[in-house]
Amino acid sequence: MGIDGEEALLQRKQSTYLSLDETFEIRKETYRGQQYSQIYFARLHLMRTLLYSLVPNWKPSLPVCTVLELEGGKECIIVGTLYKHMKLKPSILDEYSKERSATPLVKPHNFMHPDDHLVLEDESGRVKLSGTMLLPSAYVTGLVVALHGKETGAGDFLVLEILEAGLAPQIELPLKSREDKYVVLVSGLSIGSSTSNPLQFQLLVDHITGHLGDEKQQDIAAQIVHVVIAGNSVEIPHGLLNNLASKDQSSHSDPIQELDILLTQIAAGVPLDIMPGVNDPANFSLPQQALNRCLFPGSAAYNTFRSCTNPHCFELDNIRFLGTSGQNIDDLQKYSEAKDQLEFMERTLKWRHLAPTAPNTLGCYPFTDRDPFMIESCPHVYFAGNMDKYDTHLLKGSEGQLVRLVSIPKFSKTGIAVVVNLRNLECHTLSFGTQFSS
Amino acid sequence: MATRSSSKSIEGFYKQKKNTTTTKKTSKRKSPKHAATVGSDVTQPTALISHGSLDLKDDYDKNEEVLRQFDMNMAYGPCLGMTRLARWERATRLGLNPPKEIEGLLKGGEVQAECLWQDRV
Repeated sequence: MGIDGEEALLQRKQSTYLSLDETFEIRKETYRGQQYSQIYFARLHLMRTLLYSLVPNWKPSLPVCTVLELEGGKECIIVGTLYKHMKLKPSILDEYSKERSATPLVKPHNFMHPDDHLVLEDESGRVKLSGTMLLPSAYVTGLVVALHGKETGAGDFLVLEILEAGLAPQIELPLKSREDKYVVLVSGLSIGSSTSNPLQFQLLVDHITGHLGDEKQQDIAAQIVHVVIAGNSVEIPHGLLNNLASKDQSSHSDPIQELDILLTQIAAGVPLDIMPGVNDPANFSLPQQALNRCLFPGSAAYNTFRSCTNPHCFELDNIRFLGTSGQNIDDLQKYSEAKDQLEFMERTLKWRHLAPTAPNTLGCYPFTDRDPFMIESCPHVYFAGNMDKYDTHLLKGSEGQLVRLVSIPKFSKTGIAVVVNLRNLECHTLSFGTQFSS
Repeated sequence: MATRSSSKSIEGFYKQKKNTTTTKKTSKRKSPKHAATVGSDVTQPTALISHGSLDLKDDYDKNEEVLRQFDMNMAYGPCLGMTRLARWERATRLGLNPPKEIEGLLKGGEVQAECLWQDRV
């Protein structure tokens, strides 16, 4: 094609963005020496109120009582927080009983054991749960559920049926008379680690900004309205952190500077959200606060650049997105089992709680009057970053809810980014490789 | 006032006093403190004095008693780590309907803002 002044410039599509992260911010919280009992109380109270409203539809004829009011042999319903007693769960006291060795006493793997058992607890007391209905392998500490059963002679509670909160009510999807608009979800860039390939991420950036491909490709790229980076964007080698006074201190910030250069290229063209992950320079306990804008001098100059909390909740054209950088799913994987990571994600939605293991095994801020991880309104797209592989599923709820579950793989390992179409919630991948397979 | 010291049984440190002036019960609250002072007649070891004043029963009035009952009520959740007013407000927000007089006491009078166990555990 010659120089043709009539060629129209491709315009990128736009969408309205609404951030709902206020509940995850801890700027206004003050620490007054409170312990985690406060957040457990808030969680129990809010979930119990919810479950009490669901119980009449589930078992209308049975009485509801507290743990202390249980009478032997009488069938009833109790509501409380589950506690899973795990034999292999690492205990801080083991450090004092075992000999100190160079290797860490805890290795991240699954801590399940056939002898694990569940206990239900509310303010009045706790009771051990027995029976074959409730498999300890599928549940974790911190869930609030309603149980139908009866107390046995041994003092246990024999569980006959369990009621979970189920999917939250969902705001209906806007009508489908719209055009294709794509959202790119990527995570685990791990810039600065030995496994990340800078060319792969550069290819992704070039594709999103429309520098790759012919007109058709650029047309597709022009339909990308938003990019979300779900955690673990940098990886600062651990050896460097041990020697902070060394002369090459500037090399500590190299990964972040490299990330900033690449993010500037994206932010110049598309709205971008970046979430912190486990390896990022943010606080450790959930909800992780937004990465400081000083880390991104180049990209922060653009108003399309947003540094967000983890978990992150936002609405694009009234379609609600909710997701985390993966710590909640990883923690569930250590203390329970499911056929794949997507099933853990589905369970968290059904339990109406993003991170039930917080604060038991997952670091969490000690809130006093609320539990921000409770899912009030069911999202339309639910994602988790830094998963082992790409997977997706369209979950249908009992009241017509429709959720697109997306498990975003680590980009540094797989070279795969996920694209969600806002028109019909369909999902596909963008995969970048730098080697020709033979 | 009869003190029985040098006795190894519970009477050795559980000082019993006849209530001649008030009808308040002293038994339940006194014993934990006295467990550390077997045989001595110090009523309040200095380490356990909170808020700069001796915590004898005649030092708190019925307002404080009402507030202590509010602290101990399990329906409103744990009391440690929150001011009483914050806990009352949380209870209201969660729909638990705590008695309004507590709010009046906390906002008006000169009562202790922190819960019963503050600085003691």
